[in-house]
Amino acid sequence: MSGGYRQQPGKSSGKRRDGKRVAGQQKFPPPGSGGSNPVMEPRDLDFIPESVGGKEPQPAGSHIHDRIRTGTVVGKSLQLVDSNAKVTGQAWYGDDVRLANETIGKILRSPHHYAKIISIDTSRVEALPGVISVATGQDATNRFGVLPVTKDEHAMSVEKVRHMGDLVACVCAETEAIAIEALALFDIEWEILEPVFDRKKGLEDVDEPIHWRGKYHLSRTNVQKRVFQEFGDRSLVDDPHAASHGKWSMEGVHHGFTEPHAVVAHWDPNGRLQLYTPQQVPHYTHRALSTVLEVPMHQINVIRTFVGGGFGGKSDPFPHEMCAAILSRKSGRPVRITFDREEVYWINRGRHPSDIEVKMTADDLGRISGFDIDALIDGGGFASFGHVTSYYNGVLATAPYELGSFHYTGARVWTNKPASGAMRGHGAVNTRCAVEVGLDEMAEQMQVDPIDLRLANLLPPHSRTITGFRITSNGMREALEKVREGSDWDNKFRKLPLGKGIGVGCGFFISGSGLPIHWDPNRFPHATVHIQVDMDGGVTVHTGAADIGQGSTTAVAQVVAEVLALPIEMIHVRSHESDTSPVDLGSYSSRVTFMNANAAIRAALEIREQILNAAWDILGYHPNTLVLNDRRIYYKHDPSIGVSYLQALHKAQEDKGALIASGAYRSPPMGGVHKGAAAGLAPAYSFSSYVAEVDVDVELGLVKCTNVWAAHDCGKALNPLAVKGQIIGSCHMGLGQVLSEKMVYGRTGHLQNANLLEYKIPSIHEMPHVEPIIIESCDPEGPFGAKEAGEGPLLPILPAVVNAVYDAIGVRFRDLPLTPDVVFKGIEKKRKSLKLEDSLDLPSPRLEYGPMQEPLVQRAAEHKIRDKARQRTEDTSHYVNGVLFGFDPNIPLEDQVDGWKMATEPDPEQLAKLGLAGKAWLKKTQREMGDDD
Amino acid sequence: MISNTSPCASKIIQFIPILICIHSYGITGEHVVGTEYVKMTPSAPKNVWQSKVNQKDVELLINSNAVLLDVLRDQVGTLGVKRGCDLGTCGCCTVMIDGDPRLSCLCLAGQVNGSEIITVEGLADGAHLAPIQACFAKFGGSQCGFCTPGFLVASQALLDSNPNPSNDEISEAIEGNLCRCTGYQQIVDSIQEAAKIHRGENATPKAASDPHPDPHPSGPGEPSMPPGHAK
Repeated sequence: MSGGYRQQPGKSSGKRRDGKRVAGQQKFPPPGSGGSNPVMEPRDLDFIPESVGGKEPQPAGSHIHDRIRTGTVVGKSLQLVDSNAKVTGQAWYGDDVRLANETIGKILRSPHHYAKIISIDTSRVEALPGVISVATGQDATNRFGVLPVTKDEHAMSVEKVRHMGDLVACVCAETEAIAIEALALFDIEWEILEPVFDRKKGLEDVDEPIHWRGKYHLSRTNVQKRVFQEFGDRSLVDDPHAASHGKWSMEGVHHGFTEPHAVVAHWDPNGRLQLYTPQQVPHYTHRALSTVLEVPMHQINVIRTFVGGGFGGKSDPFPHEMCAAILSRKSGRPVRITFDREEVYWINRGRHPSDIEVKMTADDLGRISGFDIDALIDGGGFASFGHVTSYYNGVLATAPYELGSFHYTGARVWTNKPASGAMRGHGAVNTRCAVEVGLDEMAEQMQVDPIDLRLANLLPPHSRTITGFRITSNGMREALEKVREGSDWDNKFRKLPLGKGIGVGCGFFISGSGLPIHWDPNRFPHATVHIQVDMDGGVTVHTGAADIGQGSTTAVAQVVAEVLALPIEMIHVRSHESDTSPVDLGSYSSRVTFMNANAAIRAALEIREQILNAAWDILGYHPNTLVLNDRRIYYKHDPSIGVSYLQALHKAQEDKGALIASGAYRSPPMGGVHKGAAAGLAPAYSFSSYVAEVDVDVELGLVKCTNVWAAHDCGKALNPLAVKGQIIGSCHMGLGQVLSEKMVYGRTGHLQNANLLEYKIPSIHEMPHVEPIIIESCDPEGPFGAKEAGEGPLLPILPAVVNAVYDAIGVRFRDLPLTPDVVFKGIEKKRKSLKLEDSLDLPSPRLEYGPMQEPLVQRAAEHKIRDKARQRTEDTSHYVNGVLFGFDPNIPLEDQVDGWKMATEPDPEQLAKLGLAGKAWLKKTQREMGDDD
Repeated sequence: MISNTSPCASKIIQFIPILICIHSYGITGEHVVGTEYVKMTPSAPKNVWQSKVNQKDVELLINSNAVLLDVLRDQVGTLGVKRGCDLGTCGCCTVMIDGDPRLSCLCLAGQVNGSEIITVEGLADGAHLAPIQACFAKFGGSQCGFCTPGFLVASQALLDSNPNPSNDEISEAIEGNLCRCTGYQQIVDSIQEAAKIHRGENATPKAASDPHPDPHPSGPGEPSMPPGHAK
């Protein structure tokens, strides 16, 4: 036997100061010498589903992945696999990449809101000692953008600047100080243009639209995208029993991630670009770099550093990434560009400032007969993800409720402000808030409990929404019931004293976008994962999924560990480099766990099969009768007959070396065929429901959220600790939007609070106690049943707080955020309208159940039985939106309902009645106007 | 109007009086290029800076107006100290100076000459993570991890002086740190768990590099079946 060897050879004294042993001095047996525990531990049956002999109840019935569960890690609270790097300060973020001989890049930003660049003279910059290279827009004139349909960005402004802070030129120098000094030496001649800041003015014709889309341009307006959708039976909305009509104004919100953008570019001696960047979607950056720099993609290696928070704000290909690459190409040296906090706000991509109008109606049976949504969103200077946002603002409101009809008009306009883009809860957050508050208002008119109203109108599992989204698992009902119970709702709602309130809100979000952004004429999968197992038994997983702190690397490691029954320490995920990782579309639309883990499971299954076949060779028992346990494979009926993992692995590797497998995921074909049918289409949807409790200081208008009960249906919590972290974190971000955060554009359109002092992210003192409640509805297509948990949990917190504020003081607010001045004004208005002396005498809203309460409760109880049968697939009949209104799900609705609509363009007679954003439909495109330039 | 300064540069000038430091402006020597160009400030003289960073003596030549954060990141090489905002609003750059948590972005290096500085890199004892580090990892106190170094240093300072903090005391200790991922709740949980270890109620975590032998190894000459099984 070997004499043992030291794991950490070196000069360790063997004892720490506190007397503990040090690893380096210990002897431990080398692999293959026996080990401490030659008999396997029994399997942990708590984490194996009942259907395959374990103890874990599966609320939604058995799942396709149940048979490969080994009880190793899925469902256990684990620390993130990269957390030790983070807590020791060794995680390398963008600015931590320090290459030898680096230069520091700085970006010259526009001091004007909107101006043409007549000329740029860089001679004085170049003459400054210490300046290495200078670049302007003329160095890279190819356009790029995250969506292929709206490529409207340049590395640096080519012809005109479109917002204050837009990129004009960049310079790299020996030191940061020289680079900053150089920025003052550019001589630029401008022609100032008339800027547009008001999104309503964006709908009007102007002399110089911010972008020009040729024959698709809408008249001479600044409208980037307009959407019209009408579905269902519009006659149902006539003569409503209850109706809510609200006009909302929401301010722009920023992601507020703690790490400012940073990038390091190095054009290596072989002529390849090595680009280090904290990116959520490295692949789109890769594509954009290739376009802008005019080099093939294989000549670029995008290295994703650790990402210090993304939330959607690092999911565009960014112009500063191009700048660094251009400067590095010119100088032949590495270039590092790091933003200061102000620059982070100039690049923005936060939530769209919006004007949202929601009209909704309910009929005399308490059914929701119509949603009529109009959303005008302010896109800022560039398109970014805006094309999608324009759709999401409407279509993601079509569930979880069954609707009689749905009408949506949306428009996104360009304004001379930093570009809006994708942010956690992309596009769905603002409308969701408006819709949920409207439901609360209707419940009040009908004198029913708002939770019962919701419970009686939910779409069941395995159904189809009014616009054709395929809902699979659905834990909405359970979520509502859990928060009702947890918050003691029935004893609090409309029963609390003035100043204290409780409110409910629900959410519905996609779990991965069904259509990849780049729908090339090919059938590329959404996600690919490679697995390699070499003779040491360690498993290396190659994936392109970008871990932005949500724990996607951990999720991938977990599912691989689960399938192969290995401890998670034996799974090594390599996900940083595009050179070594297969293409993954990135961390957006909550797709990573669903798609990437599914791909990883497929790859791991291949490895599992090879190892089990090798065990079959050794043991003589068919793989169907073999059980995988921690590093041991044994015969099901006699656990003493077995073979170690390493032995089986070595057998499998005979004559071929390392085991290699590749797995991919592609979403199934689904959805309708109408224009925009793909927007909001997802292989699964998450559901959530929150109850929030608030304290409102009636005299000061100060709102404090004290408690939140947060139930989220994530399908299956692969890692409950991480899911809870996402839920609480979402609450934090949503609370910021509803109570304090806004991007303040002054009268002159200048962003006034581009720093973390005046942009008010909630600190620990503003955080309520959040009770995260995980609902597991076990999605049939999700990895081990999982769906998303990163974005959906943000949606319900906004309406829950707004509704709770109403419960506390009886004032319905429709302007976010609810800063004390807004709340105070609302209270004062109410006080004056009631002719009261003191605002402390305001009446608290109270609820007397009306005649509809009882039938609704009864319907909810019936639907609960229906839903359970459908969730467990005991009932597999068709269900489409409309069955509640008496329609036959087996006959196309348009065949059985006179006037069932499915329109994506307004009828001419409708035009006059359209809302604010709908006014975009009054304009004609250049093509229709006969101008084909 | 023709302006040739970027909005960011102008903002920096605005903040100079607040920061009482000119950390990144015009410290480059005697270049005068072109006739219109006026030097902003004279270049700063260099000073010797001697401190103990993470128990290691450091001696450097620094600009007299250098900010501690820059010195730590660019010259000392402790990149675990993060730069989030440069304005003292986010707390990512928190370091311990003579035992007190301070914001290194608002601190001139010259002010702390000769003091003992602990950054996040100095919390662990060799391969053994400090309890606060292990608990942040284990209880979800760290998600994206960028704010984590600041939180760790601030909470370690709290635990050093108070191993039995209430939730309110924890809130007060970390109120200067912003976290966008966790919503703070799991951070508080982590600190409470670490406090238990400090009080001796829970065991200290093991080093990640401790041996953890394979329970079912196989090798030449070893039985491949567990005892009792006949081949």
